[in-house]
Amino acid sequence: MNYHLNFFFVFRDFDKLLDGLVVTLQLTVLANAIGLTLGFGVALLVMSPIRVIRWPATAFVEFFRCTPALIQIVWFFYCVPILFNVFLDAITMGVLALGLNLTAFNAEAYRAAIQAIPRAQFDASVALGLSWRARILHVVFPQALRLALPVLISNAIGLFQQSALVSLVAVADLMYQAKTMSTQTYRPIETFTIAAVIYLAISFPVGQLAAYFERRNASRLAG
Amino acid sequence: MTYHFSFGFILDYWSALLVGLATTLKLTVVCVVLGMLLGFALSLMRMSENRLIYAIGSLYVEFFRGTPVLIQIFWIFFCLPLVLHVEIGSLASAIIALSLYMGAISCETFRAAMKAIAREQHDACVALGLAPLAKITHVVFPQTILRAIPTLLSNTVSLFKESSLVSAVGMSDLLYVGQNIATRTFHPVEILTTVAFIYFVIAFPLTRAVTIVEQRLLRKIEA
Repeated sequence: MNYHLNFFFVFRDFDKLLDGLVVTLQLTVLANAIGLTLGFGVALLVMSPIRVIRWPATAFVEFFRCTPALIQIVWFFYCVPILFNVFLDAITMGVLALGLNLTAFNAEAYRAAIQAIPRAQFDASVALGLSWRARILHVVFPQALRLALPVLISNAIGLFQQSALVSLVAVADLMYQAKTMSTQTYRPIETFTIAAVIYLAISFPVGQLAAYFERRNASRLAG
Repeated sequence: MTYHFSFGFILDYWSALLVGLATTLKLTVVCVVLGMLLGFALSLMRMSENRLIYAIGSLYVEFFRGTPVLIQIFWIFFCLPLVLHVEIGSLASAIIALSLYMGAISCETFRAAMKAIAREQHDACVALGLAPLAKITHVVFPQTILRAIPTLLSNTVSLFKESSLVSAVGMSDLLYVGQNIATRTFHPVEILTTVAFIYFVIAFPLTRAVTIVEQRLLRKIEA
């Protein structure tokens, strides 16, 4: 049995992989939009002094962080239509499942960042008589975002990679296209390697960006 | 369309779920141990002054951290047998794939722990005239392990969750068994929720343990 590498088939149907990549990027961007905004809200709920608010929010975060993303996605695709009688298209379902997962992880990142904001900032906002909303929007959020940025970016990369899981519930993302192509052409090595390189070519530069922000934060805190 | 809930039937499938859980746990333990050993070796490679060794270590880590775990599992399952001309079962490919991934994430953990060792410790070794080997085994190694424990624990939790991906290549782990029962009984809501809950019951205490161990170690190191 000899396997001859032949990239012809992969490059002939390269636009299929690109179509898949577009879906993957859509999933990533939309899920991040959910995760970045809802995550901050959930972080505030988790830190709330009122128990009835704090407990459900904590349960939400812990549940999403302590179960595999794959089961969350499978659960979403099987159970949401049954339970709520709603039938959304596959990409929307994927965005929601991935977005809620990211919300939980980002909430933790924001919480750690909010706790790192110096106490004096809160005292100053009280002394200035800032309203609750002004305090959250103009004092807490900008600083939390900056402190949490490295973690938020690496969560975003993590989500970009996790988004490959939706291929298992037949969303036509990059991974799905690669899998289909490999079975159609009997060329698993070429297709999976090219797909892996595409993933790497996107997550590596973004990872470097996260490392840059982390260094900048560290030097700011030191300086 | 109305869906009638019935949780009673889960008891009939309880033993099947436990067998699946046992597979998941065994897989996690084996891959954590192999992955940590690999990770420590890789971290030494990435601290090496030899450019080539450093480059190989870095390339490995960036590749495995920069691509989805699912594609890694697929690659090992579908492509490695073609490359090596040997049959690899789903168990062996699952162990290889997850260990290689754990190696990559643990390498970063060990490297960060090694970097955190204070400069004075290295100076003291020189002042005491310790041989390089003695320095590694008696000064660097114990402190690295100690500092790495909390992150290694959370890597373990990650791997426990990622291990659910092996169900995609037909390995009968907890998620695979759950999905099978779900399709056979037409009760996905109850069974998938139960499976998610089983994952949660194991992962959640582990994440708490990470926090406790972290606080204790911090106190110990600082004292």
